[in-house]
Amino acid sequence: MYQAIVFLPLIGFLIAGLFGRLIGARPSEIVTTSFLAVSAVLSWVAFFTFDAPGGMMRIQIAQWMQAGDLVVDWAFRIDRLTLVMLVVVNTVSALVHVYSIGYMHEDPSRPRFFAYLSLFTFAMLTLVTSDNLVQMFFGWEGVGLASYLLIGFWYEKKSARDAAMKAFIVNRVGDFGFALGIFLVFVLFGSVAFDAIFPRVGELQQATFRFIGFEWNALTLACLLLFMGAMGKSAQFLLHTWLPDAMEGPTPVSALIHAATMVTAGVFMVARLSPIFEWSPTALSVVVIIGAITAFFAATVGLVQNDIKRVIAYSTCSQLGYMFVALGVGAYSAGIFHLFTHAFFKALLFLGSGSVIHAMHHEQDMRKMGGLRKYIPFTAAMMTIGTLALTGFPFTAGYFSKDAIIETAFASHRFGAATAFVLLVVAAGMTSFYSWRLYFMTFEGAPRWAGGGHGHDHHHADAHAVHGDEHAHHGHDDHGHDHKPHESPQTMLIPLGLLAIGALLAGFVFKDGFIGERFDAFWAGALYIAKDNHILHEMHEVPGWVKLSPFVMMVAGFLVAYWFYMLRPELPKRLAESQPLLYRFLLNKWYFDELYDVLFVRPARWLGTFLWKKGDGAVIDGLGPDGVSARVIDVTNRVVRLQTGYVYHYAFAMLLGVAALVTWSMFGGAH
Amino acid sequence: MLPFPVLAPALPEIILVVGALCLVLLGAIQGDGARRAIQTLSVGLLIVVLGLVHLSGGKQGVGFEGAFIADGFAQLMKVFTLIASIATLLMSFQWLERERVERYEYSLLVLLATLGMMMMISANDLIALYIGLELQSLALYVVAAIHRDNSKATEAGLKYFVLGALSSGMLLYGASLIYGFAGTTSFSGIAAVVKGGAPLGVVIGLVFLLAGMAFKISAVPFHMWTPDVYEGAPTPVAAFFSAGPKMAAMAMFVRVVITAFPAIAPQWQQIVIFISIASMALGAFAAIGQTNIKRLLAYSSIANMGYALVGLAAGTPEGVQGVITYMAIYLVTTLGSFGCVLLMRRDGQAVETIGDLAGLSRTRPWLAFSLAAMMFSLAGIPPLAGFWAKFYVFGAAINAKLFALAIIGVVTSVVGAYYYLRIVKLMYFDEPKPAFDRGDASVNGVVIVCTIFVALLSIAPAALFNAAAAAARSLF
Amino acid sequence: MAALFFYLFSAVLIASAFMVVASRNPVHSVLYLILAFVNAAGLFVLLGAEFLAMILVVVYVGAVAVLFLFVTMMLDVDFAELRQGFQQYLPFGALIALVFAAELIVVVGAWAIDPSVLKVVQGGSTAIPSDVSNTQAIGRLLYTKYIYFFQAAGLVLLVAMIGAIVLTLRERSGVKRQNVAQQVARTKATAMEVKKAPFRAGV
Repeated sequence: MYQAIVFLPLIGFLIAGLFGRLIGARPSEIVTTSFLAVSAVLSWVAFFTFDAPGGMMRIQIAQWMQAGDLVVDWAFRIDRLTLVMLVVVNTVSALVHVYSIGYMHEDPSRPRFFAYLSLFTFAMLTLVTSDNLVQMFFGWEGVGLASYLLIGFWYEKKSARDAAMKAFIVNRVGDFGFALGIFLVFVLFGSVAFDAIFPRVGELQQATFRFIGFEWNALTLACLLLFMGAMGKSAQFLLHTWLPDAMEGPTPVSALIHAATMVTAGVFMVARLSPIFEWSPTALSVVVIIGAITAFFAATVGLVQNDIKRVIAYSTCSQLGYMFVALGVGAYSAGIFHLFTHAFFKALLFLGSGSVIHAMHHEQDMRKMGGLRKYIPFTAAMMTIGTLALTGFPFTAGYFSKDAIIETAFASHRFGAATAFVLLVVAAGMTSFYSWRLYFMTFEGAPRWAGGGHGHDHHHADAHAVHGDEHAHHGHDDHGHDHKPHESPQTMLIPLGLLAIGALLAGFVFKDGFIGERFDAFWAGALYIAKDNHILHEMHEVPGWVKLSPFVMMVAGFLVAYWFYMLRPELPKRLAESQPLLYRFLLNKWYFDELYDVLFVRPARWLGTFLWKKGDGAVIDGLGPDGVSARVIDVTNRVVRLQTGYVYHYAFAMLLGVAALVTWSMFGGAH
Repeated sequence: MLPFPVLAPALPEIILVVGALCLVLLGAIQGDGARRAIQTLSVGLLIVVLGLVHLSGGKQGVGFEGAFIADGFAQLMKVFTLIASIATLLMSFQWLERERVERYEYSLLVLLATLGMMMMISANDLIALYIGLELQSLALYVVAAIHRDNSKATEAGLKYFVLGALSSGMLLYGASLIYGFAGTTSFSGIAAVVKGGAPLGVVIGLVFLLAGMAFKISAVPFHMWTPDVYEGAPTPVAAFFSAGPKMAAMAMFVRVVITAFPAIAPQWQQIVIFISIASMALGAFAAIGQTNIKRLLAYSSIANMGYALVGLAAGTPEGVQGVITYMAIYLVTTLGSFGCVLLMRRDGQAVETIGDLAGLSRTRPWLAFSLAAMMFSLAGIPPLAGFWAKFYVFGAAINAKLFALAIIGVVTSVVGAYYYLRIVKLMYFDEPKPAFDRGDASVNGVVIVCTIFVALLSIAPAALFNAAAAAARSLF
Repeated sequence: MAALFFYLFSAVLIASAFMVVASRNPVHSVLYLILAFVNAAGLFVLLGAEFLAMILVVVYVGAVAVLFLFVTMMLDVDFAELRQGFQQYLPFGALIALVFAAELIVVVGAWAIDPSVLKVVQGGSTAIPSDVSNTQAIGRLLYTKYIYFFQAAGLVLLVAMIGAIVLTLRERSGVKRQNVAQQVARTKATAMEVKKAPFRAGV
């Protein structure tokens, strides 16, 4: 069964990828989507029927490689954590496949799109089922590849190509750390298999390792390096810049990869490696601090964005920060729980916004929307549910998971946890604000789209230069010139409905298992909890005001948004004009892109140009290939000139040769 | 009375002599009218002799008071030489006819030259060696100039003759020095004398002897005739020069140093190493500057002799096995290459500049494929046959701790790869020139067989390697 | 007495050999060559090899050298021109020659016949029989022990002959040739015609 879950998407990818042109778009869609649906159903079956002794089972597929001590198997490690991820990945992926049939119906290269989607799913499944670090790295890079391909799916657009490259390169930074971390783990434990590593972590608590000139605690260093990979993949502060740009990809891709699954790979990785991280409080503190800063930073930027997908992208970034805070304080299950619920409501929001974009003929700027509720009521309803869940409205999914995180942050004694608590609460308010801002700007108020058509006119002066051509891909937008927004087809609405059910109920149904009374029975040891880690108990004993604070912030955020965008629509502009510095700071995302451009991109480009022109061109080519070939030609010319054609020259050469040989063997040789 | 001479080991040679003399008579009586009959009969005769040599099974046998030896080594090398002669004869006839060189003596001279080669291979005595060598050389001098109305061909023949006479003089001088100091001309006798350390005269005599033999395999610095003669002589003759005589001379070279001078191996190894390095380097560098494909192949054969000598420099059975393997593969490759050159004929006119090959892949894809296979093989690129050839000689050199020699060999083969690959590039990437004429069936046949051998040797290489190993063992 | 003749022949041989190379007139060179051959024949006589001596005189003096003489007299070779190149390369050539000479002197100077070598030589060759003549002895060896070399040398000569014919014989048109059969087959009827010649009118 597990083999089917993992390999069905691969088969789908191979069929659609290799024979897509042959069999056509529709069969490709049907094949990949139905395979994914089967995988998803099997995942749920596995999730509910799983009953392995010891809570863990290992399925060996093959031996991958063996070199000296390094033995890497190709095997599945199935435990509760894997099952949660299987359910999340396959469910969202299957729904996105279905949704894409409607969303992409005008695109000429649909087989390629569906092949990529299935490839991504396969890579993600190998990641979550991995039994060792190397297989995990394979999946890790596989999802990176699929992400690159899908962000750049509309490769005719320069912005899409740039975004794809940016995602790939920024991820390389994290992956470099991850790879170093794997090496270090191998050096420390002599194995990359989880089964061999986890039981021995305790022995190495005091081990040290020399790295870049400093003596480090080996475990802390390994955790930090591994966490670096997680930061890249999960778009955490400092390595987050690729995620907003990744919105250049088609919206279903954003929903699947950049909201529900791939970006949570970092969270999954830290949770999977909890037996290692749990031994390094220093590393966990770093996780808390980075997570909290990300949650806060991304929320602030989200406040002022005008692109509907970017708002959700920053929201994703922020929510990932929440998850890392939970991991950092030791409440791994809370982090995974939020991952689980977040997958539903964030996918819902993305797919909903995709439906809006579809309705608006690929307009993404919220300033050109408004009053859409009358035209696309179902989408509006679904977006409302998603927003409620995201902001943590009581008894929706987000309410249980997000509040749990905030409470654990308060309850924890970890260094940095107090700051994290404050930042998270503030971020919760901002989340509520920008979510409702999105809703009001899109669905309520006066329509701002009727007059000027849709999207072909000039952009707002504030639009960031890099994204200047984000509407340039309207090649497939040639269906009539009906300016009225229209509701999306059934294939897009049904996934919305299913996700909405998840967004409403996932928290309520599963909270006992994930973070409640049935904790031990549910997880069965899949997450390692140190003996002195009682965070889940302490969480329930926090003061009442702590429990109330997220709710208060949510209501406050809603009210401010309502005031700004429903009652006094001119206020936001005035506020922006009165605080131009702050506004621009936020609108330009804290100037991170510019900073990185100056710090890394330009020096790298200069160095590259220098090495290319001077280093490679002048030195290596000059002394290497070009120089050698020039010397060879010189030698050749000289040798050829020896061949004069005169027979007495030839005879003379022979005599000279024999004289030299005679002399050599008389006086110089071994004689 | 002395006993009747032992003839049995030389049976194939005797058949060849008798047959050749009958054909000489036939030609003398019938004149040019019998040309075609003589051609057919010559090929038939060589095939019969090849069969006899093969059937002899490499039995050890000594004839004519020890002057003539038949053993596994001689048998294998004779098989290769005869194959080369048959192939070149087959490729020659129609070509020569078109060039209006319709001489029946051509086949006869090839027959007698082949006889000379077989005598060289079986020579077990300095006199036998010299007479075999002269028989072969004299026939080759004439064949080189057989296109006697062509000034280039006569120049080639004359140059070859003058320089060949000089080299024969050196060889003879060396042989007489050796005889003077060792008191015997037989190889086994010389080996017995030098066992306890050779007198200086023998060493110097050996140097002269090696110089004379190096001329025959066109090793540097006795190679100067090669490019001029290959270019000037008719192409089938150049093909003949590059195949059989090289094989026979190399066999003779190996037999002399291994069986007559095993005791002073360090001395001759130094000389072999020197001429090996010089040949590899000069062959690689000089070929780059060539525009005529026959000159290029001449330098290629110089370099190839250098590589073959790498195996001999090792002086071990493994090294000799490498030499045999190398020569066998070289033989096929050079026959195939020259076969392709023979097919370079445009509007009834033979063309032989490298530029004429441009874009051949589009006009004659299979010919381009064959020539490309030959070039890749000569460059030593796996999985073609040439790779194994180099692999074995370099392997033997490394096992004999001749690391510098092996490294130089690898470096020069990299340089050499340049001009081989340049031909491939010309054929596959340049703008096509007008197509060549349809080729002769016999040449096409030889090229196809060579291509198949070169391309597919890697599938079943063991037969060749084992035969070479057995032949090498028979010398030690 | 024998020693006196040995030194006489040897001295004249070396001197005339030098003159072959040194004399300016090629005809003189060939004449010196003949002198050298004759002296070499004299040396052979002293060694008791009268057959070789006679062969040398008959073949080399009688045939080869006379042929050379004809060739040099008939060819118009400008030796002065050839010598110009010779002058140019003389210094370097002389150096090489000197090196060679020095080395050969060293080699020959080291000539000392090893007892073991002598043993091989003595074991390998038979004593000269006194009851047969020189010619007989050579004939016996040539057709028995050295039959291989003898026949092979014959083949070399055959090749040389074929080569000479191939390279030089041409069927020339317009040349009147003697046809013996035709001459013999002529009859009176074909060979002769009787004409009646009238007076004062011519034929």
